[in-house]
Amino acid sequence: MKIHTSTVFLFLFPAMLGLAVFRLAPVLIAIVGGFFSQTIRGDTIFVGMLNYTNLFSDDGFWNSLKVTILFNAILNPIQIFLAFILAMLVLKPSPGISVLRTTYVLPMTVAASITATIWNILLNPTLGPVNGILREIGIGTQPFFTSENQALASFIAIATWKGTGYWMLFLLAGLIVIPKDVYEAAAIDGATGWKRFMWITFPLMKRPLLYVLVADTAINFLFFTPVYVISNGGPNGSTSVLMFEAYQAAFVYLDHGRSLAISTIVLLIVMSIAALQFRLMRINKAI
Amino acid sequence: MFNFKILLTSNIWSIIFRYYSLILISILLMSPLFWVITSSFRPTTEIFSFSNDPSWKMLFPTELTLDHYQGIVRPEFIRAIANSLFVALATVVLGVLVNAMAGFAFAVFNFRFKNILFILVLASFMMPFESIIIPLFVLIRALGWTNSFQALILPEVANGLVIFLFRQLFISIPREIYEAALVDGASWFQIFVRIAMPLSGPTIATSALMLFILQWDAFFWPLVVASAPEYTVIQVAIIRNMTLEQSNWGIMFASTTAAVLIAAIPFLFLQRYYVKTIVESGIK
Repeated sequence: MKIHTSTVFLFLFPAMLGLAVFRLAPVLIAIVGGFFSQTIRGDTIFVGMLNYTNLFSDDGFWNSLKVTILFNAILNPIQIFLAFILAMLVLKPSPGISVLRTTYVLPMTVAASITATIWNILLNPTLGPVNGILREIGIGTQPFFTSENQALASFIAIATWKGTGYWMLFLLAGLIVIPKDVYEAAAIDGATGWKRFMWITFPLMKRPLLYVLVADTAINFLFFTPVYVISNGGPNGSTSVLMFEAYQAAFVYLDHGRSLAISTIVLLIVMSIAALQFRLMRINKAI
Repeated sequence: MFNFKILLTSNIWSIIFRYYSLILISILLMSPLFWVITSSFRPTTEIFSFSNDPSWKMLFPTELTLDHYQGIVRPEFIRAIANSLFVALATVVLGVLVNAMAGFAFAVFNFRFKNILFILVLASFMMPFESIIIPLFVLIRALGWTNSFQALILPEVANGLVIFLFRQLFISIPREIYEAALVDGASWFQIFVRIAMPLSGPTIATSALMLFILQWDAFFWPLVVASAPEYTVIQVAIIRNMTLEQSNWGIMFASTTAAVLIAAIPFLFLQRYYVKTIVESGIK
């Protein structure tokens, strides 16, 4: 079957142009722009590695890298663990289950900025309902976003609220395709409950779990909006994640070189994660 | 239909435990939204007096009012909602068409550089949009597009994940169907419009929903690229209003409720296609 090159071109061109201009070009701009800097007079000059050496000798950058890694190290396992439990709970078709499942996924449709606004009020130290309840049951009021020790944990809590249902969907998709006869064969061999989970469900879920872990990490590495809305990186830098640091460099200090250098580092991290994911998906024969 | 036979054949305690956990989690996840929605109908004095007082009055208002909804019927909010709807719907229409065509090409045609281009597609969906926002801003500014609808719409039209979903679907349609149509004298574009697209209902629904929510919920990109009042989108308008009128919780609850519902309602109607598309695409 002969297909004209012009036909292929027409079908592919709009999408490929979009990806080339709005995805690929920005990556190149970040890499190249990281080697340039702007003078006070507004001239752009080549500075070599200066933006990077400045970053690496800057406590603010190291702090934000540390905060971002800590945020991911705690949040991602929590999200995935809870998403797995939810997926197992909603797997078996039962009366009312689809309504309950919908309520788990619904928070993912709430915008990050609105999630931040709602939770900022819910966790407000003096007027928020959560502190009203904590006071009533005897735990006592908590400072949440206003405390250096609790702010990052509070962000982890709201990200869990918003994201867990989304990852549940991918794990559910993995659980659905496990053939029933695998379980039946296991039941004949006497594997039930915990054994069945450890020897059958978990090994067969390794790839969906890895996919979710990698995709979740890529997204959470770029956590920005709630930090911008609620804490501005504070108190005392305790929530200054990398994307907030990049935003500040670009739009508060108008230092595009520094901002693009941070963007390059973030891209490098995210692309390493993506490369890992690509390998996993190839093994999975989805491609 | 409810399958009551399942209830009869399983252990009653495991059923009770399962439903108890499921309902408890559901209440925990939904109560913040429930609280926001009920608060939006409370008189201003009641919002404050019961927000911190744990009793049934915290979740259930004693008096209802539409004052706050009248409060958001003002030019800047109407404008922001119209802007967001325009941006989201334009992205849905352009995005579904453009990405479905590319997905079709990857599924049906053989051409040079196919693998390299497909790697670009996959790489783009593994790289979250936020990671390129700052260099993209540098590019858009160089093009002179800041504060424009094209800056809000065009970067979100081509979408690697949507291309991938369509490609997975079209590859599952037997080639014989396309070849028979070719023999009958149909062009590839006619085959795409009359045969391939009508077979992809759930994938179209899922992609449209994804692109709509992506744009309706967008905050970071509109914040940096379109800050002028004529181009302000709903999420930016809500946050800006919050900083201006910190004490006006009524307006905040009403505008938030409206914004949440506009994203949630299409989701509630189309979500069953969502899981189906994810399962069938083989992403997992």
